[in-house]
Amino acid sequence: MDEIREIINSVTPCMTVSGYEYRSAEVLRDIFAPRFDEVKCDALGSFICTKRCGAENAPNIMLDAHIDEIGMMVREILDGGFLRVVQLGGIDTRIMAASEVWIYGERKIPGVVVSTPPHLAKPGESAKLTPVADLLIDTGYSKDALSKLVRIGTPVGFKTSLMPLLGSQVTGRGFDDKACVSIILRALDMLRDKNLTWDITAVFSTREEVGETGALTASYTLAPDAAIVLDVNFAIQPDVPKRRAGKMGDGPMISLSAVTDRSLTDAIISFAAENGNKLQQTVEPMSTGTNANVVNTTGAGVPVAVVSLPLKNMHTPSEVISLDDAEETATLIAGFIAGGIDKWIRS
Amino acid sequence: MDNKLNGIELLAALTLIPGPSGCEDMVAAYIKEYLSGIISGVRTDKLGNVIAHMEGEDSSRRLMVCAHMDEVGFMVTEIDDEGNLRFSPVGGIDPRVLCGRRVTIMSKDGSRRINGLISSKPIHLQNADERGKATKVDGMYIDIGADDGDMARHSVSIGDYGTFISDFYLMGENKMKGKAIDDRLGCAVMLDTITAFVREGKKPKYDTYFAFTVREEVGISGANTAAFEIKPDYALILESTAVADIADVPPEGRVAELGAGGVISLVDRATVYDHGFVTWALELAEKRSIAVQVKKFVSGGNDAGAIHRSRAGVKTLALSAPTRYLHTASTVADTRDYTAIAALVRAVCE
Repeated sequence: MDEIREIINSVTPCMTVSGYEYRSAEVLRDIFAPRFDEVKCDALGSFICTKRCGAENAPNIMLDAHIDEIGMMVREILDGGFLRVVQLGGIDTRIMAASEVWIYGERKIPGVVVSTPPHLAKPGESAKLTPVADLLIDTGYSKDALSKLVRIGTPVGFKTSLMPLLGSQVTGRGFDDKACVSIILRALDMLRDKNLTWDITAVFSTREEVGETGALTASYTLAPDAAIVLDVNFAIQPDVPKRRAGKMGDGPMISLSAVTDRSLTDAIISFAAENGNKLQQTVEPMSTGTNANVVNTTGAGVPVAVVSLPLKNMHTPSEVISLDDAEETATLIAGFIAGGIDKWIRS
Repeated sequence: MDNKLNGIELLAALTLIPGPSGCEDMVAAYIKEYLSGIISGVRTDKLGNVIAHMEGEDSSRRLMVCAHMDEVGFMVTEIDDEGNLRFSPVGGIDPRVLCGRRVTIMSKDGSRRINGLISSKPIHLQNADERGKATKVDGMYIDIGADDGDMARHSVSIGDYGTFISDFYLMGENKMKGKAIDDRLGCAVMLDTITAFVREGKKPKYDTYFAFTVREEVGISGANTAAFEIKPDYALILESTAVADIADVPPEGRVAELGAGGVISLVDRATVYDHGFVTWALELAEKRSIAVQVKKFVSGGNDAGAIHRSRAGVKTLALSAPTRYLHTASTVADTRDYTAIAALVRAVCE
């Protein structure tokens, strides 16, 4: 579990707020490069990383995980050194009051999201949440000093780091979807010296949280023969209906959906059953809420499967995953590419 | 004395110690350890208040200076079969600042500590009338990463305490962020005051009792008994006061401004302060050019509520640090106010 933890520890702290992923391009390239023959950035900033198997005309499998995380962007600088922002991606507003953020201006500065002082709260107001666009962020600077550090469009992100919980569970920000970026890197590590018959292209796509455009355009260029989209999915927590979620600790989930290719999905399920890999099935008939939605209809179409990591507290600065589940997911993906995909009969 | 922390560094260290109301043990231990070697005659009363006595030049009167050691926090009320904890806040916490917060859950003596996360139903799965509404504490639980109830019960017990996890740092221009600035700031100022007198070989004017009190956040019980025993003529209460000097808030709602000095209250919801004491303190501050401001709102309450009623009555004065986001994990205050408060406390004691 140390390997997957280390990868998660190196990838998740990088600032990758949707649209601003390029700011961490150098650091991320350095992390990706040792695992691939080639790393490129496309027009929308998605990382296209290729590992060739060496055979001519080999088929290509695309593994997609989005590199972007939800965040915010400055829209106004106010007297007293306060900021107003807009959200980039859907933030769970309930966690905002009195939370801490990083403001990535000329240099990184901390900020505190304001919470309504009690003496000013009107009756009935305590039930309502302030929309992100109306929130204030306190920087502790004067407006003049702040204006030199920050401008309209400066990205803002959550300020939390990795914290262990009991067992193999950990909490941190951006596990959606950098935990899956990490899983793909771990899978590539597992495949390092294996003989493969398929080329692998890992796409660490941008802007999933704001319209899935990174994956849309990357898969157009690649036109892969098959794709597996790795994203996070709901884990059972109180008040979450069990039929909508997977169990943390029971390994990765695979989606049964109109969006995904049933034969590819079945091939992965069979592989897991034969090899004793943990795998849970989840039903998402109409939309997977992932990049698969756009990948499968790109160009002339791509058969896609969605494999997900169970996650609690989605879209908060403290999402929770199990490192065991992450390792199991990497093992499944690596195993399927090395030994299962050849048996897949396309329907 | 030379290798002891002081000022903002001391404040930082104090804020990091977990000490929710009823579980002030670790803060008290730090303070006692700090004072050992500086003065003798530090005792702990039956409730856990730590009281340090300094003899004055003039023993005809007694001054009590106090600050509370406790902070707002949580208590575990239930451990369910899935391994999640239900909890109650300890002290007044706005439920809107709880969701998503990281907490430490610990046994009373601090020997058992684990990490937790205050969580609730994911936003994507909320139904239409749940969205846009704040979750109540009933709808929250603490996730410690347990697989099930048995695993949880190995690490946590009902009645365990919790505090916010929050580091301390300087930010912006002269600002600082941390938890429990209310009222570790008062505690730090008192420790600095005692240390300064001793280092300079001086005595305060009157017999002065520095009381580090317990349980202020849950109904002011510690200060009650401390005042009863000390029998002060005057009491100076060091506190934090919630201000709203943020963008948008009009002048009449701001209460006080960060950086403009300690806040002296005339009236709050628990006390009418002694106008003679207040006026004297304001004049003293002016004479010594110490920044001070008067609280522009009737709100809040503190240990003075109990102290001024003690026995036959005590003349009280409250001096508070203006703080933003009080009773949250991310309180923001101004380092200049620390300095101003420490200077005025020293002046009052002289």
